Amino acid sequence: MTFTKSVLLGLAATALCAGCAKQEVVKHDQMIPTTPAATQPASTPKSAAPAPVAKAPAEERLPDTSIKEAQPTPAKAAELKNDQGTVQNLLEKVFFDFDSSALSTAARTSLAKNAEVLKKSNLKIRIEGNCDELGSDDYNLSLGESRAASALKYLKALGVPAERMSIISYGKEKPAVGGHDDAARAQNRRDEFVVVSK
Amino acid sequence: MKRIILLCLLLLVTPQLMGASDQYLDVTAPANKKQQIYLAPATTLSGPALPEVARELAELFLFDLNLAGPFSVAPAEAGSAGSDLVLKTAYGSSGGNLTIECRLFDPVLNRDVAAKRYTGSLKDLRRMGHAFSDEVLRVRTGQKGPFTGKIAYVSKVSGNKEVFVMDYDGFNTQRVTNNGAINLNPDFAPSGREIIYTSYKKGNPDLYRRELYTGVEARISARSGLNAMGSFSPDGNRIAVVLSKDGNSEIYLISREGKELARLTRTQAIDVSPAWSPDGNRIAFVSDRLGKPQVFVMNADGSDVKRLTTNGAYNVTPRWSPKGDRIAYARKDGNGFQIYAINPDGTQDTQLTNLGSNEHPRWSPDGRFIVFSSSRDGGEAIYVMRADGSAQSKVSRGKARDSHPTWSAAW
Repeated sequence: MTFTKSVLLGLAATALCAGCAKQEVVKHDQMIPTTPAATQPASTPKSAAPAPVAKAPAEERLPDTSIKEAQPTPAKAAELKNDQGTVQNLLEKVFFDFDSSALSTAARTSLAKNAEVLKKSNLKIRIEGNCDELGSDDYNLSLGESRAASALKYLKALGVPAERMSIISYGKEKPAVGGHDDAARAQNRRDEFVVVSK
Repeated sequence: MKRIILLCLLLLVTPQLMGASDQYLDVTAPANKKQQIYLAPATTLSGPALPEVARELAELFLFDLNLAGPFSVAPAEAGSAGSDLVLKTAYGSSGGNLTIECRLFDPVLNRDVAAKRYTGSLKDLRRMGHAFSDEVLRVRTGQKGPFTGKIAYVSKVSGNKEVFVMDYDGFNTQRVTNNGAINLNPDFAPSGREIIYTSYKKGNPDLYRRELYTGVEARISARSGLNAMGSFSPDGNRIAVVLSKDGNSEIYLISREGKELARLTRTQAIDVSPAWSPDGNRIAFVSDRLGKPQVFVMNADGSDVKRLTTNGAYNVTPRWSPKGDRIAYARKDGNGFQIYAINPDGTQDTQLTNLGSNEHPRWSPDGRFIVFSSSRDGGEAIYVMRADGSAQSKVSRGKARDSHPTWSAAW
């Protein structure tokens, strides 16, 4: 029993380390050759898409810091970490290539951030997989689910308890943006992370 | 729910019809000269003259019989010279009731080769007309037409995707769902008046079965994850469906009540869009097990999997013809789709559409036609065409945002 347990722990640790290691590598990769925008559509929305959304979170973060300054008790901090709105605003979307549920380096970076946020709270999330308008709607129902499942698997490997995560696919039925160009499609091939409850 | 109208079908000239053994047209031979049908001006049996009834019937016969393939129908104004057949209609009305007599007259034989009387209410006019179109096809080709069937489809006219039903030619639109959620993939039971569809109305994409006349509905599969793309077996007793409860999309068989009967696929890949062969022995489906979505065929127990499509990098939504001889599917081509049909052994892969983007092919119950959705006219709309791709005709009416059509058996 204890043996299996320690083996499992060991495996989990390796998985975690693998995650961390990759994350490091990713950061170096991205800082040095940011220009090789060979993966242009995937990397552009990564920085572009959250930008407009970032305005809303910025407004909410102000009261957070002021509260922290006034009352930096661990109890309050814990409450904030479990505040749905706060956590929701910290969770980043991840984006995919066409007809792919593979996690890009950018997606892994976002997931690592999401994992840190989620591990500090005890909130449950629903991972929503989505597709662009180009694929077949039937096939995309499954592709969206594969995308959500990819994120769940990765977050689990980073230590987010599986029982706090669920997945759903909306296929191509819930586009984030309505355009019909490559930029719009890139923003629609995504996972969203929605806080559902404590 | 609206009660189905009773149609009184009466053979008027039984002796001649019974005695004759009509020669059927070979509708599969394209070189065959089309039979010219002259639409004689409608006459009145009793009651007032109703020009709008006469006009609507004439337009209906023009559309049905020109689409059918073996015929070329000329309107009354064109005159009867040189026609092989004359379609005569007469109507009578009293109160809200309507009687229509339709005859298909063969000048050479000097007799009616088809004659029917229909009685119902005024609003049943189109149904009566379509019933006679079906009959014209039966007497001239040996196989009844599909024009009294209904088309179920998904429409976004109200913003979200809801299920609707309409006549095959786009008239008499009726809303089936009204839940404000996402509703997808309607499929008719072989008997016709029942559909299954997937709805997110309770959050998860679950499978529902609904009787269209009573509106009685059951949620038959609400397993974790997808419960989607349900497809009735030809005998109506089983449903092939995509479930993702075991980790990723796999094809299963469930009963009409939703009980799991068998799991047919076991891969790490996406397996979707099951479509039955008409004998119920084989199932075509889509899988990306080799990298990109392609059409495969397997036995109905999951054995003997064979890849069907080898041309094109992205082939989806197969549908087996009622005769079993062809499988229609959609191929992604640039940013859109085109409809193809292929033999079940992989030969004779033929492109059927090329205007705009065309998806979701489904056969008419007699196999003569394919109904599909197309964006060639801007918004997505329902179209019908002959199985060889000819006579592509829009049937959605007004400003359509319609997709995923499926054609029922005779209503």
